[in-house]
Amino acid sequence: MKVVDELATGDEKREFAELMKADSALEEEYRSFKEIKEVTDTIMFKDLPDSYWEGYWQGIYNRLERGIGWIFFSIGAIILLAFGAYHFLIDFFMSETIALLVKIGVAVGGLGLIILLVSIIREVLYARKHERYKEVKY
Amino acid sequence: MNERYIEFSNDKLMELAKNNDLQAFKALVERNGKKAYLLALKLVGDPADAQDISQEAFIRVYNSRKRYDEKKPFFSWFYTILSNLAKNHLKKGKVRLRYRRRTRDEREAVGADFAVSPEYILESNRIKERVWKAIEKLPFEQKEIIVLRHFEDLSYEKIAESIGIPLGSVMSRLYYARKKLKEILGSESE
Repeated sequence: MKVVDELATGDEKREFAELMKADSALEEEYRSFKEIKEVTDTIMFKDLPDSYWEGYWQGIYNRLERGIGWIFFSIGAIILLAFGAYHFLIDFFMSETIALLVKIGVAVGGLGLIILLVSIIREVLYARKHERYKEVKY
Repeated sequence: MNERYIEFSNDKLMELAKNNDLQAFKALVERNGKKAYLLALKLVGDPADAQDISQEAFIRVYNSRKRYDEKKPFFSWFYTILSNLAKNHLKKGKVRLRYRRRTRDEREAVGADFAVSPEYILESNRIKERVWKAIEKLPFEQKEIIVLRHFEDLSYEKIAESIGIPLGSVMSRLYYARKKLKEILGSESE
């Protein structure tokens, strides 16, 4: 490989030349690798227009800013929802006007919902742990 | 770019960004944006996806800046993030590609080359296109080593550092990648 990449030392080059003389398959392989290298050396890729690069940083900055915005929004929403749920449950179960049977129904239904959620979350976590491509990280 | 940062190396800029210097991070993005885009383009072969991936890579660099190890070069760390994004993107894209291939097959003759001619190659000709399409057919690990050696002109040591494999593995992976490339090109010309 070093010879193809022109990284071999003088001794290595000489040694490789000797090997090539004795092995025509090796010589053929070397030539084909060299040809591929010569073609790839001439392949250039088109750049994007300058207008794109002018807004490149702004695009990244906007996405970073939005990410931070979403984190704060999510934290706020979770706090508000937890607060609302807590007060709803207190008012609901402490209420004297709501029948005991309704309270039991809501409690049992809520318990079922919690079990279902825990089960789904556990399944998702298990699937993630045993994922085939888990070595592929973001 | 802010003049204050012109003299700084990428490693130094990243070190400053780690300490919440947003202007240093901006300088880092402005300096490396094109390189990141072109690298992503070579890995995923689509300009729009390459734009997304290169931007996302910088966002992840910033979000995980506190984990940056100053002893290691910035490029290696950045490349790991970019390459993982590209790899994941291609994996997800396989589903889309399978669907596209199926619908295309319905329209076109079986065995026809459905790949779009790479318009993002400068001064393209038949030989360059053939070689590039063959590179695109390589498995990701082989494609990335060809990209890093042939297009980015990285030394074996730099490649080893960027991919996180031993030096010997770089040479053997490069050998098998070239061999596979030769096979693909050979089978196409038959």
